[in-house]
Amino acid sequence: MENNHNALKFALVILAFLTVLPANAQTTVSGLILDHKQEPVIGANVYIKDTYDGASTDLDGQFAFHTNEMDSQILVVSAIGYETAELAITLAGEALTFEVTLKEAFNRLDAVTISAGSFSAGEDSKREVLKPLDIATTAGATADIAGALNTLPGTQTVGETGRLFVRGGAGNETKTFIDGMQVLSAYSPSFPNTATRGRFSPFMFSGTSFSTGGYSAEYGQALSSALILNTKDEATSNRGDISIMSVGLEGAYTHAWERSSFAGKLQYVNIAPYFGLIPQELDIEKAPESLDGNFAYRLKLNETDMLKVYTNFNHARLTSRVSDIDNPEQKTRIDLTNNYRYVNASYTDILNDQWSLRTGVSYTSNVDDIDLNQDQVREQERGGHVKWVLAYDHSERLSVSFGSDVFTRKYTQAYRTHETGRLDQLDFNESIVAGFGEMDFYFSNRFVTRFGLRTEHNTLNNQFNLAPRLSLGYKTSEHGQVALAYGQFHQTANNDLIRINNLLENEKADHYILNYQVIKSQRTFRVEVYHKQYRDLVKFDAADIFNPTAYNNAGNGYARGLDVFWRDAKTIKGLDYWVSYSYLDTERDFRDHPISAMPTFASKHNFSIVTKYFVNSIKTQVGATYSMASSRPFYNPNLPGFNQGRTRAFQDLSVNFSHLVNSFIILHGSVTNVFGFNNVFGYEYGNVRNEEGQFNRRAITQPAPRFIFVGLFITLAKDKSINQLPNL
Amino acid sequence: MKKLTLTFVFALICSVSFANDKYEKAMLASIDKVYKAGTVEEYKNVINELERIGNAEKDKWEPHYYASFAYTKLASNSKLDDRDNYLDQAQEQLKKAMNLSKDNVELVALQGFIHTLRITVDPPTRGQLYSGLSIQEFQKARQLDPENPRALFLLGQVLYGTAQFMGTDTKDACALIAKSVQQFDQYNADNPLAPKWGKSSAQAAYQQCGR
Repeated sequence: MENNHNALKFALVILAFLTVLPANAQTTVSGLILDHKQEPVIGANVYIKDTYDGASTDLDGQFAFHTNEMDSQILVVSAIGYETAELAITLAGEALTFEVTLKEAFNRLDAVTISAGSFSAGEDSKREVLKPLDIATTAGATADIAGALNTLPGTQTVGETGRLFVRGGAGNETKTFIDGMQVLSAYSPSFPNTATRGRFSPFMFSGTSFSTGGYSAEYGQALSSALILNTKDEATSNRGDISIMSVGLEGAYTHAWERSSFAGKLQYVNIAPYFGLIPQELDIEKAPESLDGNFAYRLKLNETDMLKVYTNFNHARLTSRVSDIDNPEQKTRIDLTNNYRYVNASYTDILNDQWSLRTGVSYTSNVDDIDLNQDQVREQERGGHVKWVLAYDHSERLSVSFGSDVFTRKYTQAYRTHETGRLDQLDFNESIVAGFGEMDFYFSNRFVTRFGLRTEHNTLNNQFNLAPRLSLGYKTSEHGQVALAYGQFHQTANNDLIRINNLLENEKADHYILNYQVIKSQRTFRVEVYHKQYRDLVKFDAADIFNPTAYNNAGNGYARGLDVFWRDAKTIKGLDYWVSYSYLDTERDFRDHPISAMPTFASKHNFSIVTKYFVNSIKTQVGATYSMASSRPFYNPNLPGFNQGRTRAFQDLSVNFSHLVNSFIILHGSVTNVFGFNNVFGYEYGNVRNEEGQFNRRAITQPAPRFIFVGLFITLAKDKSINQLPNL
Repeated sequence: MKKLTLTFVFALICSVSFANDKYEKAMLASIDKVYKAGTVEEYKNVINELERIGNAEKDKWEPHYYASFAYTKLASNSKLDDRDNYLDQAQEQLKKAMNLSKDNVELVALQGFIHTLRITVDPPTRGQLYSGLSIQEFQKARQLDPENPRALFLLGQVLYGTAQFMGTDTKDACALIAKSVQQFDQYNADNPLAPKWGKSSAQAAYQQCGR
């Protein structure tokens, strides 16, 4: 009893001590918090560590609070965007005043970015110029990635190919990578001189980075441009989709498990019924018919590690006849069967806070079987790519990545002449082993440098090359920045050249880019000037194209120009539009050019305006795209000079709409070239002079003035909020 | 020996209850400020207050929860340009709270709400991803506690918005909202610091449904 009594007494004393103490000594702490520019920091949190005592700074950066703590304590000053400061203080009941200057915290998310030469489309709306959805909803593109990117500055309209031609570069100078891995033959087959489409649907990707120059050392074998596509992560819900289109049918199913997902899509396309309704200026025996399958499996091994496997197969056939220019009755029948396979597996592993590993493998097999007036041509290209990249984040400011690549490629073209039974074969086997390293260093939130180096060794010509890359970025204001980029790029000569002479050297290009951009609340302005110097371009003698010794690397050229981009989704509610203009000055002495001249795929001025407007009352998005390209050169053998002819300017106005019928059905329609401008892309000339002593010619034009597309997209999912809208 | 132990235990009980009392008092004052905050300055002040409490009370999830909730309120009242920044802060605070309290229905529901607010920044681009994510979180919250009215109301709210956008029937969404109004009346949390927000919004949404 006595004991308990004592205990209670003791406890009461403690309690009294604890409650009484505060009343005895109270200290007032006050002061001023400034930033590195000596301006007040508003809303900073100033407090005694591990206590509730503290205050926020006011509009003048002033704070004041009382504390009952005593003796040695730590005063903490924290504010968003600044490094937290800690001060040892002694509280003794007398008022204390402090002035603290905070250091700016470094934060990559708010810092300057490497922007020269690159357009990216991703989900982070703060800094992306384009969104994934934009690619799918651009009128005139008909959901083709290249079609949509062709509305950006730096691209040239080359209507008879449908490919990406970047800053005076030829179509083969743009390479496509999926999840960092190489894709060969990224375009579907098409009739001669008609536009092709990319093999990969934009809906597969969550991020797209389109570089018009100066890109990272991780990528090589592209002289002009890298199109880097990142596939979506694992799906989180089950869904089925059926699409009924004017050109075919499509069915897709996605199944999601706890940590993995599988998505499969089958597409059957047959353009015959469409060509039946809308006549084409082509002699078609068999309209394109294709079966295409896409399968994607994703396995999330844990929060950060992901395995992605993607495969695509495509079987297509098309047959047409092309008449001889000098003798229209004489026709060449071209029957093309294409078989394509692509497999891509990539694995990302975050090893710890600082190290991460990315590895991948890809394999492409592309086989064209062509019946050319009964001559049998088989052209095959098979290629593999293996890559690993280790990334090390030393700190927020410094990160380093390095890795290596191996590319192997086997190409054969077998030509069996029907009449003689003679077999001619052209082939090459190429292996490229590459190593690369890159370092990003942020001097501050305003200034970043990226230095990269890529080395490649090519077994075919036994050439070794060293390609430095350099980028700088400087933030000039809260929303504006300037960027500079330099890089050297190498690429094996195109298949049709290297197959004749396996020892041809790599073609080379140097890029110099200066960029300025401002991105502010749904408005983007970008301007870029560049100079590209081409060296070691392949030249050959057009009269002797099968003679390997008629080929050399004596060619060169340049491309320089100005690209301007403006996007505004803010000024008019519901209206989103972008305007692009490109000026290009280019000349090349390459291939069969007798002199340095502007190549036929180049045009001086390219302009496009893309608009999208959502009409809420009828649940419909309407879009229109107008594109213009100035005249392109062509070689007119009837006049002196080379590439001296000029086509008329190109014009196109395309429109589309997407209408939400209900929560799971979308109706989509689009029409290209509404006004039916008769665009001429160039001229082909005959080989013999006619009676007037002139060479006959034929214009390369559009197969039909317009392309009309209608589709009904139906989603079957338990979750009613899911439909294909983000796909349209 | 016995005496000493008893004294110690008693003293401990006293000091713990004393500390709890101090914590609860400070939190109740801060929570009230969160509900009443209107200006950015008021929000900043109360968030700083909550951060101070959270830093001192290293095992309590409530300060971080309310700081996160304050940021979501601030985000929903701010311009589109600022919204993502505030939501990033809300997410950071919520992460701290989740590290301290696993499978907490209120935290899961707030996670869903942060996702919902992400949609509003850019509905065409973010709609599908974030509506899916927020529905998932609300459903997870309902599994953890089927009686929680906030999880139910927030789910109803997202489904209502989606149905309205699609021009489909809002009946199912309204049924959820109606049920949540009932649950708000019945719900009694034993923790005095438990969240109480959402009732008037649910009632307002219910009125909207009636029209």
